[in-house]
Amino acid sequence: MFEPRPKEQPYAFVPKVEHPELNRWGQSIETVPEGHDLRGQSLNINGDAAVSSNPDRYKQHGFYFNADNCIGCHACEAACAEKNETPAHLAFRSVGYLEGGAYPSYTRMNISMACNHCDDPVCLKGCPTLAYTKFAEYGAVLQDPDICFGCGYCTWVCPYNAPQLDPVAGHVSKCNMCVDRLEVGLKPACAAACLGNALDFGVMETKPENRIQAEITIPGFPDPNITHPNIRFQQTKTLPREMTRTDSNPLRYVRTSDNSLPRNAGEGGGGGEYQPQPMLRNEKLGWGLKKLSTRENPLVVFTLISQAVVGAFLVLFFGPLFGLEMLAADAHPIARPAFLFGMIGLQTLALVLSTLHLGRPHRFYRAFNNLRYSPVSREVAGIAVFYNLLGAYTVMSAFPQLGQWLSPAWLSTLTSVSGYGAALSGLAALYFMHKIYRIPARPFWNHWQVLTSFYGSMLMLGPLAVGLVFAPLADDGAVLLGVLAWVVVAGLVLELVGLVFHARDLQRMGGEGAAAHQVQTTNFAYTYRSRNAALGLALLALLSFAVFFPQGTIGLVAWVLISMVAIAAAAVGRMLFYALVIPTTMPGAFFWRNPAFQEHARETGLAKMPQVGVAMDCH
Amino acid sequence: MLLGRNKKNPIKLVDKGVVEWRYTTCGYCSTGCSIEVGLDDTGTAVSSRGVADADVNRGKLCIKGILEHELFRKTAGRGDKPLMRDYRHEAFSEVSWDAALDKTTSEIKRIQETYGRDAFAVISTGQIMTEEFYTLGKLARGVIGTNNYDGNTTLCMASAVSGYKRSFGSDGPPGCYEDFDHTDCLIAFGSNLPEQHPVIYWRLKEALEKRKFPVIVIDPRVTMFAQMADMHLAITPGTDVVLLNAMAHVILKEGLQKQDYIDAHCADFEAFKAEVERWDPLTASQQCGIDEDTIRNVARLYAKAPKAMSIWTMGINQSTHGSDGVVAINNLNLITGNIGKPGSTSLSITGQCNAMGTREWSSCSGLPGYRALEKEKDRDEISKFWNVDPDFFPKERGQFMTDILPAIETGQIKGLWLVATNPMTSMPNTNRIRKTLEKLEFLVVQDAYSDVETNQYSHVFLPAAVWAEKEGCFTNTERRVNLIRNVMPPNGESKPDLWIFNELAKRLSNGKGPSFPETAEAVFEEMKVLSKGEDRILDISGMSYAKIEAQRGMQWPCRDGEETGAQRLYADGKFQYPDGKAKLIPLAFVDNNEKPDEEYPFWLNSGRVVEHFHTRTRTGKVGNANKFSPTPYMEMNPDAAAELEVMHGGYARLTSKRGEAVVMVQLTQRVSRNMVFIPFHFHDCVNRLTLGLLDPHSRQPAYKQCSVRIEPAADQVAAAAANAAARAY
Repeated sequence: MFEPRPKEQPYAFVPKVEHPELNRWGQSIETVPEGHDLRGQSLNINGDAAVSSNPDRYKQHGFYFNADNCIGCHACEAACAEKNETPAHLAFRSVGYLEGGAYPSYTRMNISMACNHCDDPVCLKGCPTLAYTKFAEYGAVLQDPDICFGCGYCTWVCPYNAPQLDPVAGHVSKCNMCVDRLEVGLKPACAAACLGNALDFGVMETKPENRIQAEITIPGFPDPNITHPNIRFQQTKTLPREMTRTDSNPLRYVRTSDNSLPRNAGEGGGGGEYQPQPMLRNEKLGWGLKKLSTRENPLVVFTLISQAVVGAFLVLFFGPLFGLEMLAADAHPIARPAFLFGMIGLQTLALVLSTLHLGRPHRFYRAFNNLRYSPVSREVAGIAVFYNLLGAYTVMSAFPQLGQWLSPAWLSTLTSVSGYGAALSGLAALYFMHKIYRIPARPFWNHWQVLTSFYGSMLMLGPLAVGLVFAPLADDGAVLLGVLAWVVVAGLVLELVGLVFHARDLQRMGGEGAAAHQVQTTNFAYTYRSRNAALGLALLALLSFAVFFPQGTIGLVAWVLISMVAIAAAAVGRMLFYALVIPTTMPGAFFWRNPAFQEHARETGLAKMPQVGVAMDCH
Repeated sequence: MLLGRNKKNPIKLVDKGVVEWRYTTCGYCSTGCSIEVGLDDTGTAVSSRGVADADVNRGKLCIKGILEHELFRKTAGRGDKPLMRDYRHEAFSEVSWDAALDKTTSEIKRIQETYGRDAFAVISTGQIMTEEFYTLGKLARGVIGTNNYDGNTTLCMASAVSGYKRSFGSDGPPGCYEDFDHTDCLIAFGSNLPEQHPVIYWRLKEALEKRKFPVIVIDPRVTMFAQMADMHLAITPGTDVVLLNAMAHVILKEGLQKQDYIDAHCADFEAFKAEVERWDPLTASQQCGIDEDTIRNVARLYAKAPKAMSIWTMGINQSTHGSDGVVAINNLNLITGNIGKPGSTSLSITGQCNAMGTREWSSCSGLPGYRALEKEKDRDEISKFWNVDPDFFPKERGQFMTDILPAIETGQIKGLWLVATNPMTSMPNTNRIRKTLEKLEFLVVQDAYSDVETNQYSHVFLPAAVWAEKEGCFTNTERRVNLIRNVMPPNGESKPDLWIFNELAKRLSNGKGPSFPETAEAVFEEMKVLSKGEDRILDISGMSYAKIEAQRGMQWPCRDGEETGAQRLYADGKFQYPDGKAKLIPLAFVDNNEKPDEEYPFWLNSGRVVEHFHTRTRTGKVGNANKFSPTPYMEMNPDAAAELEVMHGGYARLTSKRGEAVVMVQLTQRVSRNMVFIPFHFHDCVNRLTLGLLDPHSRQPAYKQCSVRIEPAADQVAAAAANAAARAY
């Protein structure tokens, strides 16, 4: 059990106060009722089997942050770092700020944020390894770094950036609500350390003494309806109409309503509702090529290859049903299996890349742990099933000799079954792959355009690849290309329609989505326009294919050129997808939690000193 | 679990395995927080926590205190072995303590014999133990006999000391933190508590939450303190005396002063009144930038409050009118009867953890225990106590640090001993200091860190123990003497400063003259004897290490037989001048600040950030503190920057009449259009530009008033590279 300090002061203890039965979203504050199985169990902290007698143990606790009072002194961050021994490049709790007004009517609002131990923890649901648990004790959401394999998905889905992916250690860790202190009735170290009387802690929907407000949001805080976070705020001081960030995230916060009209419960902060709007510091038009390459490059490759392979397989498998006899199993007994094995090779490469993208690749098998909730688990399962069935189909269709060992009928049935199975699982895998990106905390991705893009790539890249290989081999290559062209057109149309609606919807939604679109049309303007033009060009070219059926070498050369354009467009498009996303993030400070400074520190070598707090990104 | 796994692993939380907690007091600022350092079963310091029942901090610590146990880690740059070289362009050789101390001794003797006693100077610090200050004073005055002996407190507190001496006849901050709980009005002049003294801010915040009273902050910048205040007066730099004179003018004109207090306890009222008469609010507003309504409002508020208090730090002290500024604050409090009572005081918030100790006992400015070289009685008393010829003492104090360095520059001083201070980074006009230090025939640096920048110029480096690697006392802002128990042995071969002083004393004195007790506690007992006296305010004869630890610090005076210390001074209205009265001092004001002009259009302001302490030899290596300001930066107004095409996060080049500097830019509306702010902690940065014009009374440099010109760095990449290369940490 945690040892409190001798003669501990009253401010350090969690107060015993009356609380309502339900929180404002209708969730019971009592986590499990009396007599429930989960009661009376030990938290097993470091193997200690003791069970605390804290009478408030089964109540949802959370932080209370008074933004009127925070002076940005870092005591909370330091207390957390001291207790959890986090290295300089990582912190469970961080303080950032928003600024507004002109000298001397200047206001800085500091915000201290760790984990909000949400009612609906998206980190827990998203984690493929099921490394997260929401405990009945205090409602704490705790993460186990020993289970985690460092995919970082939880860092994507959390709107408040609570989980911390350590590039050095290769796993995630985060705020643990100091449950050892809670067990002996003490507030977490950060709340006990606060020097401004800003950060506090207690049972949810209770207010500390002397406090008059328990809002669910303040300017700079992401939409609380995403996860129903267990944090409440006071922010009563008048703030300027527009508040800006000092870090490089291109957002500002504009007050869109004030307190002169009645509000509905649960709406807006103390001084009025603040909405995030784009604010680019540099609106020069450019290519943005330097920023196009990101840490997620392996995922660019992985997603494109997977989509291409599924598409190619669908074409190969269903092609004969639509009159493309040149794709049938007996048409090219060497080329076809070779192509299939090639696809398997590519998919293997893609899987290896995606596994190496993990912080701890040797734990990859844990990806299946959370099929119940996690789109990552489901996608991995889908790809795994597809991969295996593709393998089975390939082997069986490549080696008819197997018919001597199994009966030919069996072989044929099994080949068929694995083929249909691969087709279905491939489509399903891509569906789940897109679900991975439907993250409310990443508005740029949270649009059906991801689905049209993924299926679009599938319909584009697969047939192009098949055409490239089989058209030269077939006598009636032009026919093949003519038919395939329609499939590619379908893919391009899907992609373009998605992009058009995406652009329109992004501008409407404001916030991080609109900001990302603004970045897309300014800093990446030429790249964006080139990609769009390439897609359009490919579309026109293929339509002419479908109409004019170019023959022989001209047709082949044209197909090659179109393929290059389309593949380039797809690759650039996918890189834009990862590069442009602006997640909801808590406002940072000028150095700490400022992506621009982190990049600068790496470029100039400042990051080599560990006390600068920026890890040289090892991957 | 409600959601997640059914079968759970044990929850792994960090358990540092602390088996013992040892009592210390923080070694950074002068708030004087009590810290317990936790040791694990290998005797390694692994944790720090505030002492819950200490009155000063009641269990709270700031970022620096929370991470202070990290100081004991073996980082690169910690002093380890003594180092020596003949010329500063050579590489150091590691040598034995005997060799280093013998060399130091022989050089001191040689220089004094060749050039005179005062040709060897000693500059110490505000960060070693009080017992060590006393010992160094004994050594410097009683054995070495140089009158060029001062401390770096001249850079931070000298104006406060000077102001107190002029107004009250003696140094000694009269108030305490508990005054927050009683006051009805607080004015903070040039003090940024949340960044400089966060735990004192917390004490104030707690008081305000119990009982709200008006807080007025006077600062050119919109600091968090200014934001939290009821009124923020954005004053023109260097003009506090003008504002204070105008406030006094309003008070006297409207008859709001406490005339009976003035008649009973203050001298020279008429001369003061005559000067103040000239400072009507309109005249004042044109100089200090605060409009007349505000001046009248604040003056009335302060005078009418039943109890009112003033606090200040470097915004007042580090100015050519620093001493006058302190006197002006004292004047204000004297005419409103606000001295020595609960909630009524003129409290200077001290900078370093033991600047008070050096002021009390180091004999820099006089003789130990607030005695004066100028008083024959004091010279006789101390010479007898130390077994020294009374004529060995000079009849008045010698030069301040900021005059010692120019004397080195022009060759009057040939040798220098620096103890725990880094003038290479902390003195104004870095380039001038470089040239100055080059001139020394012999420089010995005694410091806990061998990578302290001043060491670039030394001939001998004496590695010293840091903080709780030794034992002794500090005194904090509110006169609270507090104890540091030894927590860990000194790093490598480094030694406590006390040991170093004793060893040098042995060699320099040849057994003649004063005795030098070996342990800190024995020195403390000696100090107690010297402090004893009914009319002495600096009386610690009622204290002992055991009592201090048990009470978590005791304020002086605590006389023999008293169980606890006294919270306030001058409660009886009796001051330290012979007539028992405080002096009201008329303050003429001539604006000699280096103001912005056409060529150098910006004010250059400098100051602190909470995550760093002084020149970062310690905090620059503690990652979880350093990361919040890992590299130098400048706050600049966005509107001013737009005109010059200076970018947020880009590099700017600044030039002043002293030189140039390159620094990363942070655009914020926190500073005015014609001012920039640079934290002073970083070597080779802001002080390359500062002028540091000296206060005539305190010789304290004006760090916060000079002018610069700004332009974007022509080659941003080169600027970034130069910045990265300029500092090793």
